[in-house]
Amino acid sequence: MITELLITLAKILFIIGVTVGFFAPILTWVERKQSAIMQDRIGANRADILGFTALGLFHAIADALKMFTKEDFIPEGANKVLHTLSPIIAVIPAILTFAVVPFGGVYNLFGHEVNLVISDLDVGLLFVFAIASIATYGYVIAGWSSNNNWSLLGSMRTASQMISYEVTMGLTIIGVLMVYGSMRLTDIGAIQEDFFRWGIFLQPLGFLMFLTAAIAENKRIPFDNPEAESEIVAGYFTEYSGLKFGMFFMAEFIEIVTIAAIVTILFFGAWHIPFLTTATLLSWFEILGTTGSNLLVMLIHVGVFFAKVILFIWLQMTIRWTLPRFRYDQIMKLGWKILLPLSLANVLVTGIVILMLQ
Amino acid sequence: MELLTFYPLAGFSILLALGVVINKSPIGSALCLIGMMLGLAGIFAMQQAHFIAILQVVIYAGAIMVLFMFVIMLLNLKGTGAEWRSRERNTLLTVLTAFLALGVLYKIVDIILEIDLDSPAKVADTFGTAAVIGETLFTDFVLPFEVASILLLAAMVGAVVLAKTKLD
Amino acid sequence: MAYYVNRNVKMTWWERSYLPEIFRGLYITSRHFFINLFGFIPFFLGRKKDREIFTVYYPEEMVEYPPAYRGRPVLALNENGHPACVACGLCEIACPAYCIHIVPGCNSGKQNEIERWPEKFDIDYAVCIFCGNCEEACPEEAIFMSDDCEISMLDRKKMRYTKEQLLVPVADLKERIEFTRKMYAKWNY
Repeated sequence: MITELLITLAKILFIIGVTVGFFAPILTWVERKQSAIMQDRIGANRADILGFTALGLFHAIADALKMFTKEDFIPEGANKVLHTLSPIIAVIPAILTFAVVPFGGVYNLFGHEVNLVISDLDVGLLFVFAIASIATYGYVIAGWSSNNNWSLLGSMRTASQMISYEVTMGLTIIGVLMVYGSMRLTDIGAIQEDFFRWGIFLQPLGFLMFLTAAIAENKRIPFDNPEAESEIVAGYFTEYSGLKFGMFFMAEFIEIVTIAAIVTILFFGAWHIPFLTTATLLSWFEILGTTGSNLLVMLIHVGVFFAKVILFIWLQMTIRWTLPRFRYDQIMKLGWKILLPLSLANVLVTGIVILMLQ
Repeated sequence: MELLTFYPLAGFSILLALGVVINKSPIGSALCLIGMMLGLAGIFAMQQAHFIAILQVVIYAGAIMVLFMFVIMLLNLKGTGAEWRSRERNTLLTVLTAFLALGVLYKIVDIILEIDLDSPAKVADTFGTAAVIGETLFTDFVLPFEVASILLLAAMVGAVVLAKTKLD
Repeated sequence: MAYYVNRNVKMTWWERSYLPEIFRGLYITSRHFFINLFGFIPFFLGRKKDREIFTVYYPEEMVEYPPAYRGRPVLALNENGHPACVACGLCEIACPAYCIHIVPGCNSGKQNEIERWPEKFDIDYAVCIFCGNCEEACPEEAIFMSDDCEISMLDRKKMRYTKEQLLVPVADLKERIEFTRKMYAKWNY
């Protein structure tokens, strides 16, 4: 009982450390630096500690310091409670999603079966979906409680965009779970040990639509209408400053990691290396004993998983710095007239193919 | 252990449910409703019904309430309470509602009295999983399920028709 | 020159399906990304870099401004160490922002000496709009737009430069003088 608790605690600490402690600050640096490199610039590199700049990595620390020391401003006529509550509602679901995200398989360590997922829910896929829909309220309430028309417009756009793209997202998820026959994310990951059963081969259209809908849910360019700077100042967080703004910022970056992780698990073989099953890997390191070989394989799998996650973070950043923003009506048209019928057709075709194969 | 999580959850839900009724601003009511849905989802999850809990969050808290909020914000109801007056009394309606409420209460009390609270029933391991619920829906309850879907479809088509005629 | 935007561009089916064009855009940006990321490798192999980074580290590195650039106006100090200005007041009149203030000084009849010079010559850079009209109006080639644009300061009163601060030796202004001669010679008044 105590060991189980300790293992779970270790996993929770690991996930929070990786997302909040590593990815969120690093991604601010990645975004600056990658956009600079793509646009033939150099990028942020002036923040230094004792003349040591570390390629501009200290800008993340400088950002954090700035946000901590800035004035926490609540506009006149704003709903104080909701104005303070909404960044929290936005950031908690972003971290909470990782409760069901497996970052490795099952390993036999010191006589314990260690499953590298915090909570192995039977409805893990739906849990991710549900939590993502809860995050909407953070943004909607933020806009409403600011007592600012730009914010209100931003939050209305958020609400409509989220509703539109959640439908597509749900339907693409249905395609995936029809193929794998399970909503448990660890099962979906385990099935993809076979390279030819990776989601990208079984659901190529599903992958494209899921990625589109996920980026739209995260409200980043090309779907950043809720916070379109050139149209409505900063959308729902116009009136936010200091640490509250930082929380919205962090939620966005953690959601990038979430999307990358979910895409990796659903479509790109989770923690598996193509053509290398866990059994093969274990037999290679047989000399090290059960615990030793399992530990090594676990490290390799976690490394592979996060390498894939980083690849998809890179892809999202590239998309963000390549495409221009859609107009509002174009977003709605894409969501309801193109993606929704396509995803319904995807479900239908998947069903027919599964029936024919039986 | 279970009671330790149940009572706070139940209390939270009841408080927020009261908040829905008492709250003066429509947005506040909507938020209380969302919180109550989440509390209910927590209670479902405590009773091993993970699937129902998640559906509660996805459908009610996630989808329907976002639409509610959207509409409330679109109408921009600044609820000061001044323009909200109580409706004129309708005796027939009041009596009918009272009957309905009494019926529901009676049923609830009846069920509670029937249950033997000292020995909770053993639930199967597969209880509340998606597979089992799907199987039940498509075998034992296939008729209500299909009827409900036809009802929803009819409502959807009706809404589209109503909106269409207004546009033209 | 009127510029018309054709908003009724007929797109081909390939372009309207949108996805291939997105991939093309992603290919272009990621090509830039990888060339810049690994651009140092051909450099070490003895080849020229494919693409140069245009960024200039501003306070440490400076860009050479072209002679046509209009920075803050300065007074020319000729070879004899005297200001070339004769305090005629044309620039004062030409100035649309009224930022030039001249108090003339004059020689009472002595031979072989400078006849007129500015006693005081102030330019208020807080008011100046850098239009270059003073330079154009000057008949004596005495006031020029320099390439200096770093004149921000915290006190507005300090932005009113006096004659001593404004004087710059003619040798430093050579390029601009040649440029103005070339430019204003073309124009017919």
